[in-house]
Parts: sequence; structure tokens; C-alpha cells
Amino acid sequence: MHGWTGSILRVNLSTKSHRKESFSEDFARRWVGGRGFAAKILYDEVPPGTDPFGPDNKLVVALGPIAGIPAPNTGKAVVAAKSPLTGFYGDGNLGTRVSEQLRKAGYDALIVEGKADGPTILYIEDEKVEFLPADEIWGKGTYATNDHIYGKYGAGVGVLNIGQGGENLNRYAVVRSLEGRAGGRPGMGAVMGSKLLKAIVVKGTRPIPQADPQTMKALGFGDLKEVGRIDKETGWSIQSTTGVLAWCNEVAGLPVRNFRKTRHPEAWKIDGERLNEARIATYGCPNCTMRCGITIRDREGRESELDYENIGLLGANLEIFELDQVGSLNYLCDEYGIDTMSAGCVLSFYADAIDRGAARGDFMFGDAEAAKKLLTMAAHRDGELGNLLADGSLRMARAFGRGSEAYAMQVKGLEVAAYNCKFIPGQALAFGVAAIGAHHREAWIITFELKNTTRESYGPEKAAKVIDLQRIRGGMFEFIVACRFPWIELGWGLDNYPKYFNAATGLNWGLEDMWRVADRIYGLIKLNYLREFPNASRQDDYPPAVWFDPANADTDGPIAGKVLERDKYDGLLQHYYDQRGYDQRGIPTRATLARLGLEAEAAAAEKFGRLT
Amino acid sequence: MKVRVKLIGPLVYEAGFSEKDVELPEAATVEALLAGLALSQRRPRIVTRNGRAVVPQEILEEGDRIAVSPLYSGG
Repeated sequence: MHGWTGSILRVNLSTKSHRKESFSEDFARRWVGGRGFAAKILYDEVPPGTDPFGPDNKLVVALGPIAGIPAPNTGKAVVAAKSPLTGFYGDGNLGTRVSEQLRKAGYDALIVEGKADGPTILYIEDEKVEFLPADEIWGKGTYATNDHIYGKYGAGVGVLNIGQGGENLNRYAVVRSLEGRAGGRPGMGAVMGSKLLKAIVVKGTRPIPQADPQTMKALGFGDLKEVGRIDKETGWSIQSTTGVLAWCNEVAGLPVRNFRKTRHPEAWKIDGERLNEARIATYGCPNCTMRCGITIRDREGRESELDYENIGLLGANLEIFELDQVGSLNYLCDEYGIDTMSAGCVLSFYADAIDRGAARGDFMFGDAEAAKKLLTMAAHRDGELGNLLADGSLRMARAFGRGSEAYAMQVKGLEVAAYNCKFIPGQALAFGVAAIGAHHREAWIITFELKNTTRESYGPEKAAKVIDLQRIRGGMFEFIVACRFPWIELGWGLDNYPKYFNAATGLNWGLEDMWRVADRIYGLIKLNYLREFPNASRQDDYPPAVWFDPANADTDGPIAGKVLERDKYDGLLQHYYDQRGYDQRGIPTRATLARLGLEAEAAAAEKFGRLT
Repeated sequence: MKVRVKLIGPLVYEAGFSEKDVELPEAATVEALLAGLALSQRRPRIVTRNGRAVVPQEILEEGDRIAVSPLYSGG
């Protein structure tokens, strides 16, 4: 077996023990790595009903056969666990040197079990595993934690760490790395916190195994250079992802005022042009030549690295149009280690609920200083309100009642990313059927919908496009593991990725082989969902109800008077199920599970939920 | 007639402006407008007219707002 190290490191924090385990070639070929490894390990080892904050939940850090190898944008790792936000499988990816260092240490994945008896740094150096006290950095933010670790171990080590959000079990706490990287939106940072695990530090000293290192080297370095050249030619990274804010504002797709509005005349104040003008630094992930982290000075004078989701949800969606203040809110989220997207939706929901008399309080849209205080309370679970805000918008809505769940902007408990789908049916579907809740990572089809179809369509072509993109974005890029940006933003050919994969593994896979693995992983995550929620229904794949509410329609602009139509959305959902081979509830049928090679996993699921 | 043109993302630096009025003959098409903007043809893009995507042959009207954007993929 080439490409894979063939080993997983299993660490138990309760017993301070560790074990190096090997995995089979069959396991490698079926699940490949990253999201595939994580989904399978958690399915097999974390039974339904497990307390996400209990010692029996497991944190998985998973890499893939090209992770860490010098090739376009391979400096990423997947972090996964049972989510405390959504109650089933959750994951995310982030740029980190752990990708390279863990592979150099001889592992393709790390499983963290149990709970430490005090704040702990897990230190891994090849075969050596140490459980070190983290008392002096417990309670500190992610920047200070990172600095402390770099000071102690050198800046070349791989680091995953949490801030106060993770320590205090904020349900949307993320895992952080490097200067501005974050991943694991559905509370992976809180799972680390529940284990009293402040940081994971990894140093590896051995070469990463590859079937054909010469080809890989020539391909990888050459292509990294070429991706960088295309980026310069197109000018993409001048505004990076933030360019899309101005476009969303043109096409009525921007989240404004808890997604109630789709455009705003002041949006230009926080758009990509203004960000580029305010730029003081640019950060990126390892093995990246199209760095996207535009960094500005925030209101308090600190460095704050922003992307589109940050300015969309902490800016426009809160009606805060002062860029340095948006920078401050973003800095606080990063420092505390909480997800900027969920944080933005939680605060916008709170302001909206107050507006509508469902909640008490004086927080208003546009109030940046109050938003800073609320973020601090949410990260620390400070008082009754801090506790409420730390639980995410769905739990808040259930506490508020009065119909407020309709405008809690989430799917399956995970808050919606910064695209307002009040009248963008295909993207609403993409949020509805994303594997872990309303994430934009897996399928984003808005330009396709507007350019290649009619916006009003709820036809099968939109469901097909969502599936295509899930296979690519939520599948291949998440299991090989690499960043999707060269492909999605620069048009870097998809067929390059099997080339990297084959040079690393010695296999001869094409894209069709990748899609088979992707479909298997999607099927398995659905089984995980069914096991946790035996009464799963198609309603679980609906976007927030407010997008169907005619009273919420825009009064002017490109989509005046229009909202999603419930019966038509249901038809679009059925197209998706039919094309996927899922039943009326959105669960893979027995026949589909057999086709995906998931018979054993299906048998395990049937002890808890019904299959058709 | 006059239309308002808004460029998005890197196109701002390519064409040298972010937003401006452009004078066009009556019944000019989207294609004609784009031809005068000094934008590279090499990369895919999406053009919207008053917020709705258009084809190159569509005829423009006085006061239209035209946005030209790279084909973003949502990060």
C-alpha cells in the first residue's frame, strides 16, 4: 500500500495511553481518508445516543493520501466528532501544518478518546506521545495559545487548538490553527474542550510515503506554480472570496437583517474593494499559492483576517457596515474560537426575536458594541443569556417559542452560510441536503442557477447539479484531502486530482472512482443521521420556514414579491432523493446501500431505525 | 442611452473602474456593452441586468443596471 502511511494513532486522554493501529488496504480504498475515514471511524466507534460532551465521544483528525504533499492546496486536515450542535456526525476542514506533520509522524489519522483529568496539550512526535499540562494557557484565546506553543516547540510544528469558546462548550466552537484558520463548524472545538484538550501539537520527521515520488514532485511543484500564475493572471486573490458580497447584493442573495432582506445600499462599505484597500497582510494555508486571508486592522487595532462569510454574516446580516467593526467581531470569534457563521446567525436571530417580541432584550441590528459583548458572553457562557447564545439558534428558538423557529436560520441545527436563498431554490436545496447541516462547502450552485437555468425553476437539473458538486466538493476534496479553491475559483482542472492521487498511491483511479467513494460517504452519514434520529423525515431537509413566507418577500428589486414555494421545493427535494436513490424520508434505500457497498453499515443502522 | 455598469471582484482592476455610467446607442446589446469594457475574454463570467442573468444578445434599455462578475463558486 503506497500513499497511505497505513497507520492511525489512537490516544486515550483518560488513561494517558496510546496505540498505533494499522488499517487494511480495503479500508483505505473504501474510505480513502479525511471525511471518509472520519465518518467510518465515528460510525463504528461512537454509538447513537452518545453524549457529544461525554468521554465516549471521539475527536478524529483525518488526512488523505495527498495531504501534506507539495501539490496544489494540500495543507488541510479534516476534524470530526459527533456534533454537540446537530446531534449527529459533524466535521470541517482547516488549513494546518498538522496535515504535513502528522503524515511525517507516520499517521493518516488521529483518534482522541476519553477525557483528561486537567487541561492538556497532546504532544505527538513520531512514535512519542506526551500528555502535557495546559494550565498556563487554559482560559486564553487561540492567538495567545498559538504563540505559546510556537514559543515552546518552534513555529514549524502542526497545531490544532481551541479558545474560550471550546473550553466553555459553546456548541459552535471551532478548532483553530495557524494565524487565521478555523474548521469544524458544528462544535468540534467544544468536543476538544469537553475533553479538556487545549491543543494538539504534532511534529513528524519522516518522509510521507508515495508510490512515485519523482512524478509527484514534478507534478506537485509545477502545478503549485501554475495555480499561482493563474491566480495572478485573473487577479482572484486581490479580493479573494470577499468579491462575492457585491455580487450577492446585485442579485438579491445577500443576508441582511437576519436574512429578511437580500440587499442593502450600504453593503459597498464592507465589500471586497474596501477590504483590499484596508489590507495590512495576507495569510494562507500551507502548500497554497492563492492565499485568501485578507487581513485588516480592526476597531481596537488588532489584526483580523476576513473572508466572505465573515463580512456577510457579521456585517450585512447584522446591518453593521463599518468595516473595522466587522473586523472586531471577526477577531473576537477567532480569538475565542467560535464559528463566525453561526455566531453571526445567532446574533441576528436574537435581534430579530427581540424585534418580534419573542425574546426580551435591547440588542438591535447595527449595534456593533453590543454585538461584541454578546459574543464574549456566548464564548464564556456568561450568565443566562450567554448560555442561551452559546447553544445556537435552534435551541434558542425552542427556548423562545412564539413561532421563532421559523426564522432561526439553520438546517438540522447548523446555521446557514452567507447566501440568502429567499428565492434561490437550488441553493436552498443545497443547504437542505448538505451532509452535516446548512454548510456552503458541499454544493454552491447560485451562479449556475442564474446563468444556466431559470431562477424560478425547481427542476431536476438543479438537484443533479447539487449532487455533482456534493461528489466533488463534499466528497473528493474532503477525502483526498485538498482545498477546492484552485478548481472552483481558478478553473484548475478536476482531472489533476486523480493524477496526484495516483502518483501518491500507485492506483489508477479516475473521477468516477472518486464519485463512488463520495456517494458511499454521503450514504454513511445519512445512516449516522438515521441512527441518531430514527424518526428522520424529509422535513429535516427543508430550509428555514421564513424563506417560504410571502410576508417576508422583498418589496422591490430583482425578486420583488417572490419567495420559495413549499410544494415546489418538495418536488425539488424529491428529484434529489430520486437521483440519489433515497427514500421518501431522504434515507438511502436498501438497494442503494447495497450498491454503495454499505450492507454491514446498514445492518448496524437497522437496530435503531427503519430502512426501506 | 445611458446604463450603469458595476464590475465585481478582480474585474474592477482589470477595467480600471468599479462602477460608472456608460453611454450606448439605442437598442445596444449586452454583447456590445461588454465589447467596450476592455475586459479579458479568457475567463468565464456572469452578467446580470437589474439583478437577473442575461444572454449576450439581450437588448438594453435606458437606466439598466448591468453587473459583470467572475463566475464565483461560493468559497
